[in-house]
Amino acid sequence: MRTIILSLLLGCLLVSCSKEEEYTEVDKPLDFQVPSNFPPLAQDISYNMPTEKGFELGRKLFYDGRLSADNTISCSFCHEQGYAFTHHGHDFSHGIYDQVGTRNAPAVQNMAFQSEYFYDGASNSIEMLSIVPIHNPKEMDETLQGIAEKLMQDTEYVKLFGLAFEDKQVSSGNILKALGQFMTVMVSANSRYDKHVRNEPGGDFTSQEEQGIALFQQKCAVCHKTDLFTDSAFRNNGLPPNPNLNDLGREIVTGFATDRYKFKVPSLRNVELTAPYMHDGRFGSLQSVLNFYANGVADSETLDDELRHEDILGIPLTQEEKDALIAFLKTLTDEEYISNPLFYYQT
Amino acid sequence: MKFQLKNTIAILALTFLFVSCSSDDDSSSVTEGTSGDVELYFDNGVNGDALILGNTYTNSNGESLTINRLNYIISNVVLIKEDGTEYTYPKEESYFVISAEGNLLTAHLENVPAGDYTQLKFGIGVDEQRYLQGETAQQSFWDLATEYSLTWTWSTGYRFINFEGTYTSSEVDGEKTFQVHQGSNTATDNYREVTLLLPTTARVREGEMPNIHLKTDANVILDGVNKIKLADNINEAQTATAIMGGENLITIAENTLNMFVVDHVHNGGHSSHQD
Repeated sequence: MRTIILSLLLGCLLVSCSKEEEYTEVDKPLDFQVPSNFPPLAQDISYNMPTEKGFELGRKLFYDGRLSADNTISCSFCHEQGYAFTHHGHDFSHGIYDQVGTRNAPAVQNMAFQSEYFYDGASNSIEMLSIVPIHNPKEMDETLQGIAEKLMQDTEYVKLFGLAFEDKQVSSGNILKALGQFMTVMVSANSRYDKHVRNEPGGDFTSQEEQGIALFQQKCAVCHKTDLFTDSAFRNNGLPPNPNLNDLGREIVTGFATDRYKFKVPSLRNVELTAPYMHDGRFGSLQSVLNFYANGVADSETLDDELRHEDILGIPLTQEEKDALIAFLKTLTDEEYISNPLFYYQT
Repeated sequence: MKFQLKNTIAILALTFLFVSCSSDDDSSSVTEGTSGDVELYFDNGVNGDALILGNTYTNSNGESLTINRLNYIISNVVLIKEDGTEYTYPKEESYFVISAEGNLLTAHLENVPAGDYTQLKFGIGVDEQRYLQGETAQQSFWDLATEYSLTWTWSTGYRFINFEGTYTSSEVDGEKTFQVHQGSNTATDNYREVTLLLPTTARVREGEMPNIHLKTDANVILDGVNKIKLADNINEAQTATAIMGGENLITIAENTLNMFVVDHVHNGGHSSHQD
């Protein structure tokens, strides 16, 4: 993150030193760096490299209610920066016309390092994924063309699209690309845990937190892999289905019964801030989550193999172990990310 | 000199010899560096009959389908010469919507290098990841596809084929709705390409546009090398059949390999025709 800000500033410096007679704004590439402790990118961003203006445009769109049919619901409505871009305190989100959805709003962070999006993998493209909430009749209930028509009336947008994209069009494709660029830059990699593994100042761990890391590696990291804390795989973690919803999860997207009740392994970064937990937000605390893994895992045909060891279901944990894990999970909170002015609404 | 028939015949024969020695069926040779247009015309049918929306067709599964919609995407067009050299149409222009209801029946290709082409290759649907990479904002194909109900929004992607209507069969009571939405999802890639022989060489010249007349058989979607019964796929409430995912789409992808054939080629055209 530091590197990105630095490059941005450097970029600005170069612009102001231009020898042109008139000051014309130009677009410049943003220097995107993969944090040293991260796995490689999972999206090919070379076809939509973040640029200064593309990023600005994407941010402006993210905070703009005009992306919804009645101009009230922006992305930021359900994705609040202070909570790692989740919907604080909501198990399900209320979207347009006060309708309630059926899934918990996931965090928007480190998107370019993920190969699948949404709990059911409805999209595998950082550009295309915005289509889903935009079109969902309970969320934003709009169309890309509808949004483009509104934005074309706004001179500020026309100018930004003109600067950000070669063809200068306020078009569906460019809307998706701008949002894609914004999300690409949203990297959370400066938690206390990150400083700890990268041996940076501020990375000291208490002995309980150290115990937590060790337990995590042993019992959780098989699914919550790498410093992204997810393997982006779809797994049935033994949550008894809510009979009112009977959310089939991945099966909805693929149509295969073998995918029933499987949901994407979420990243645990900033997990302290993203309560309530699970695809339907049923657990209000990390304690609840660990209680579930220790004693609440339900068997089913598609239950993940990692949660079945001989005749033991789930992950047996003592309260002391749970405390250590919770202490560790809290070190994944990235204060910089949730307060970075680069990511909040700029007028 | 006395009129001798055999001399006349000999002279005539000699003349024909010279005439028939001109280069074969081409009236003009290919000039390097020139180009022309090509038109692909999709003549939609059902098992040999013309597709008329609202008409009913019975297939070998014993199901009678009243077809109300047939829209599909073809893409990544390649023209192939006899010696195997290929001309790949520029990717960002190479996505087309064909729609019976919208009367969109042609894919018009511009600036194709002049030459004699003997095969046509194209994809059914959208090769999504590669499409995204090549997409330029000049071509908001997503918008066009959405207009013809060829996009999904709950699971992002293109519907390669949108085949809808109602059906009756001995296995269900009354008339039920059917919707077949062929496409890929993040788990399965159902994009397929077909290579078709042109029964007559398509001659592209400056100012001369060949019209490649294809016949599409919508019947093979469900009644092709693999059989899919709509009645077998009816929903729990017994009200409708929706085929939009899973194994069925993989099966349909295989069926659609036989959905297109080039019926004939008209050379020397200047504008589109329909016959």
